[in-house]
This record gives sequence, structure tokens and C-alpha cells, in this order.
Amino acid sequence: MSADLRPNPALAVARLAQERHAVRRRRERFGRLLAATGAAIVVLSILVIPAFLLFELLPHARMPEGVGGRFLLLLAGTLKAGLIAVLVAFPIGLGAAIHIVCFATGRWRAGFRAVLDVLAAIPTVVLGLIALTWLAPWLRSHVATLLVLAAVALAAVLVVSVVFGRPLRARRSWLPLIVLPMLVLVAGVIVGLDPLVDAIAVDTPWNGLLVGLALGVAAIPLVCAVIGEVLQAAWDRHVDAAIALGASRWQALRSLVLPASAPGLVAAALLAFGRCTGETMVLLMASGNTPIASLDPRDGLRSLSAELALSLPGAERGSLAWQVLLFATLALFLLSFACNFAAGRIRGRLSS
Amino acid sequence: MRPGRPLPSAELRGDVGVWLSAACLALCIALAAGIVVVLVRAGLGPFWPQPVVELVLRDQQRLLGEIALEEGDAWILRTSETARPSDGYVRVRRAEVLQVDRPADAWVLLHADGRRSYRRAAQAPEPGATNIVAADPRNALSFGEKVASFGRNLRAYAAGGTGEGPGMLPALAGTLVLVLLMSVIVMPIGIAAAIHLHAYAGPGRIGRLVRGAVGSLAGVPSIVYGVLGLGLFVHGIGGSIDRWFYADRLPVPTFGAGGLLWAALTLALLTLPVVVVTVEEGLARIPVAQRLGSLALGATQGETLRALLLPLARPALLTAWILAIARAVGAVAPLMLVGVVKLAPSLPLDTEFPYLHPSRQFMHLGFAVYDNALASPDALVGVPHAYASALLLVGLVLTLNAAAGLVRKRLRDRYRAFES
Repeated sequence: MSADLRPNPALAVARLAQERHAVRRRRERFGRLLAATGAAIVVLSILVIPAFLLFELLPHARMPEGVGGRFLLLLAGTLKAGLIAVLVAFPIGLGAAIHIVCFATGRWRAGFRAVLDVLAAIPTVVLGLIALTWLAPWLRSHVATLLVLAAVALAAVLVVSVVFGRPLRARRSWLPLIVLPMLVLVAGVIVGLDPLVDAIAVDTPWNGLLVGLALGVAAIPLVCAVIGEVLQAAWDRHVDAAIALGASRWQALRSLVLPASAPGLVAAALLAFGRCTGETMVLLMASGNTPIASLDPRDGLRSLSAELALSLPGAERGSLAWQVLLFATLALFLLSFACNFAAGRIRGRLSS
Repeated sequence: MRPGRPLPSAELRGDVGVWLSAACLALCIALAAGIVVVLVRAGLGPFWPQPVVELVLRDQQRLLGEIALEEGDAWILRTSETARPSDGYVRVRRAEVLQVDRPADAWVLLHADGRRSYRRAAQAPEPGATNIVAADPRNALSFGEKVASFGRNLRAYAAGGTGEGPGMLPALAGTLVLVLLMSVIVMPIGIAAAIHLHAYAGPGRIGRLVRGAVGSLAGVPSIVYGVLGLGLFVHGIGGSIDRWFYADRLPVPTFGAGGLLWAALTLALLTLPVVVVTVEEGLARIPVAQRLGSLALGATQGETLRALLLPLARPALLTAWILAIARAVGAVAPLMLVGVVKLAPSLPLDTEFPYLHPSRQFMHLGFAVYDNALASPDALVGVPHAYASALLLVGLVLTLNAAAGLVRKRLRDRYRAFES
């Protein structure tokens, strides 16, 4: 027998190594493919939404007569709810973010963040429930009381800050815990005295104000988180220099940090607006769901999202109603996409 | 800016600013605490045994019952139900009431047909004779007995079958099965995408594209996912499955109607950005030296990931999972389009082969909140039930979030050890 057929140990080892090399390369390629598949699914899922909507809508490019008006009412209702909600959420979120970033320290800061996380975790269906069953009956006859309450609370905080601001300056970190009982007291007194019952006539308990308040509460944590992030970056960049020049923390905030992060504030408002207009449960439960052409916050509204939730399950596929609803979906998608895109661009420019 | 000590007016303005920002934060705290308190009170309160009152009216009429609601200057009194459940509500103006008694010999009787009635009697009514299932001397209960009664009421409602609807257990079960099925779908995809972003994509065009896609997905309104689920999954894919495999059952849809699988897929899309962002963050947190060391020893990217990075990022994976569930549990709107129902005839998970029934309709806690609040035939019963479901839902979400926070803290501590 020839010696060539005997196994050559060196060759075997080399082949083994090569084989292992091949196996490893194959495995590596497979892993890469797997990861790329995941990424591809992510990209596909954002593309499939407009693609599906356009695919269903394009064969019927002409909007049927008489539908446009209703669509405009829904759009107006959506924008109105979003606007009121942002007006509620923005100042509160901004103030909370300022305090967390600039004035609270250490453990207090972590605690306040945790409270806002709790607020963020509350599902909107629960906010809708509370707005519907708890806030709506009271708010109907107490709109004026609410306004008075807000004004008195603001005045009380101003007065107390002027009188007690100096001695409490060192307690800045946990100032909210001092203000909190004060606010509760003011609220208790005003609600208890009930000065102006039915001073502002409200036709319906489910109105734009109620929706705006509930949606605003839902949007506060988002506003606070976005602004907090932007402020923190600007604060870290500027505060040492400002304080070295003799400015107080407030002066550093006013004259350097806030102007530097102004685009971030706009981005936060845009994001909140996008989130609120796309929100469904609060709008469905607390808005009254009647399409009304009115920008008055005392009137009810019907939003695009509520229309979808209410009408789509009953619409037959391919019917006229179905197309109109898909058009509403497309509008909602584009609206929130535009808000997010603009906010993203603004934030991106800020960070670069 | 003026060098040196700030002027007094500037100091004053600073104080006002600090206090205003503190007031905003205080308002947030009050809101969070207020919502939790309202939920606990309104969610648990109705199960606490209310006293039975006897109202003596101006015309000497006497009404025995429980005060169900105070409405401005009137009371809604729940009195004996004579024909069917919830037909005994009486509206009484406060001005008409002369006297409010709490008679110690008042009995609350529960009848076999779900009716409740109130009676004054010296002794316990005969059971059986008038179809009475249970009787309790409400005003004579001691505190301990009240606590026991509270527990009984709560358990009875949760388990259902007391004539007050299906209870919370089927909804809880539906919610849990749904989010578990969703996790099975979303976790592999999300982790794969995060790995691609972290290890392979880099800062180039593809990385930007994927990152942009994740950001855009996070901003899509949840109801839009619902529409996509209904149009694409239910009608598109489900309809095709029916035509190919279940043609003999048509026109009764099998997969062509809303069901568990399509809802899970829809929620998977909804939670995909949460998973990708959290996992990528966890991977990015691992010190670069670890990764470079592994690569320098001759391991490939994939081997490094499998043997080193993914095990190290395990808490991040867990966090991503918990956050995805927390997000999904609160998303109700899309479910309303893809198969959630008020009352499902059977659970999606049972002991019958194949155990999990992905085409079945299901119940959901969040939808139970909506449905009880708005569509209940008896609002005075429905709203407390909505609050009970809401309390359970919020408890679930807050627990999940707290768990995610704990895991994240452990993760941070672990890398602190690496850095030193």
C-alpha cells in the first residue's frame, strides 16, 4: 500500500484549523445577517405604515364629495386639544425641569425624577377615567373657580417667595416640599369657599378644557424629560464660567442657559404637541366626541384618533367610510411624523 | 453680566424664579400623588361595607338603603331591588330629608338572581325561603368583620361570577398572555436590531437610517399601529391565511378577525423602539476596553457579542423587556381595533390542545377600564369597577417600572466595578 494514504497529522491539523476558520467565518456571517435582519425589520416597519396607507388610498385618489368638511372638523378638534394640552403642560414641565436640573441636588433630584417617572407611567386610559368621572362633573360648574385657584396660587407663591425667599435660600433643593402644602392649602381654601360657581357658562362637561387638562398631565413628564436633557447639557457647559464671573445660579440660567437651550424648548413643545394629537384614550373618553367647529375651549370636540377608534371597527374594508378613515390615519401619521421630525432636526442642530 | 455680588433686585428676581420653578415641581408631585390617592380610594372604597341608612323624608316616608352617590344637593340612594338588579336607585333631594338614621338591625340581603334588598329585622332572615344567598347585619358589623367583608367583596369581584360581570381575572389573564406573546415577538427583533446598531452599523448612512427609523417608530401614535394591525395583519395576512387554510370555514373568519396574535404583533411594533433603544444603551454602557480586549485575543465580532457583551448586558435586556411590557400594558387604543372584547367566551390560554389559541379574542385590563367607565349599563356599579381595574393596571405598570429601575441600578453598579 502506498504511504500517501496514511493520515498526515500536520495536514489534519491544518485542515481542522481551516475548517474551524470556515465554520467561524460562516457563523460570523450568519450572526451578521441575523443582526441585519433585525435592523431591516425596524426600517421596514416604519416604511410599511405610509406604504400601506397609500396603497389602500391611491386607487381612489379623488376624495368623495362632502367628506372633506367632516375631516376638517376632526383635524380642528385634534389641533385644538393638542394646543390646549401644550399650553397646560409646557410651563409646568419647564418649571419642573428647571428646578430639577438647576436647583435640586443629589438625592432630592433623584427623588423628583422618580415622581415624574410615576406620572409618566400612568396609562392614558386611567387619566381619561379620572377626567371623565372625577374632574368633569366638578369642572362643569367650576371653571371660574379653577382660574381663580390658578391665579391665587401663583400670587401666593410670588408673595411667599418675596417675603421668605431670603431666609430659605439654603433650602433650595427641597423647596417643592415647602411649596406643596402651601398649594394644597390654597386649593383647599379656594375649592371650599367656591367663590364663583357657574360664573363661566359651560354647556357640556366634556369640553376642550377638560381634555386639555388631562392631556396636559399626560404630556408634562415628556416636556420635563426633553427640556431637562437640553438644560442639563447647557448648564454643564456654562454654569462654571457664569458663577466664576459672580453670577447667581438664577442669573446663569436666565442670561446663558435658557437662551442657549431655547431651540430645545421649541423641540419639547413640538414633541408634546405631536404626542398629544396622536393620543387616543383621553380624547376618546373626555372630549364628548361631537365634531364641532369651534376653537372655544368650553366646547367639546372630536379628534381624528377618537374617530378611528370609534368608527373603524364598524367600517367595511374598501368601503367609502374605510377610505375616509384611512385618510384620517394618514393625516394623523403625517402630523406626528412632522412634529417628531422637526423636533429631531432642532435637537440635532443643538447638539452638533 | 455684572461682576461681583448680585444686586438685591437681581437676588429678589432669583428668589421668585426659584420659587416658581419649585411650585411647578410641587404641582407635579401633587398630581402624581393625587392620581394615586384617587385611584386607591375610588378603586378600593366601593368594596368597603357602606353603612345602611334610613332616610326619613318630609312626607314621613322612610327609605332604607345605601348612599351610592352624592350629587350636588341630592343623594342617589340604592334601595331594595324588586324586579332585577340595579333597578332600586332613588334620587332624594337633601332638602326633603328630615332625619338620617343608621338602624343597627338593618340587614343587607343578596338574592339568588343577583338582586340586593334591605330590611330591618331582629333576627337573620330564613335562608332558602326567599332565595336569599347571603345576609349581613351591615350596621352591626365590628371593624374586624368589616375588614373580612371587604376582603370577601374584593375577592368575589376579582374572581367574578357574582352577577357583577366577569371580574378582573379574565382581563388580567388576557393582558398577561398578550404581553408575553408580544415579548416573544419583539425581543429577538429588537435585540438583533440593537446589536446591528451597536456592532455593525457604525455612524455611516445605514446606521443613521436605522436610528432614524427607531426614532420615527417611537413617535407614531398608537392608534395608527392599530389601523395598521387591522388593515395589514387582520384583513391582509389573516384574510389570506383564512383563504388558504381555513377555506372550509369561510365566511366565518378564523384569523381574518381581530385576535390575540394580531394584537401581539401590533403591540410588538409599538414596543420595538423601546427595546432597541434600551438594549443599545446597555451595550454602549459596557466599557470599550472589554470589547477591544476580546477582539485582540482573536475573537470575531459575533463571538465577542455572544460570549462577552450579551452576557454583560443581560440586565439591560431584562430592563428592555420590562419597559416594553410596561408600555404595552398601558396601550389600549390599538387593541380596540385588533380584537379586544368586553367579554370573551373563553380564555386565550387553556388546558385544551394547542393550549394557546392565537386567533381567539381576548379581554384586557385597560379596555375593561374604558368599557366599564363608558359602556356599563349601570354607571353606579360600572365606574367603581373601572377604578378597580385602573388600580390594578397602574399597580402593574408601576411595579414593572420600579423593577426596571432596580435592574438598571444593578447594571450601573456592575460597570462601576469595571471602570475602577
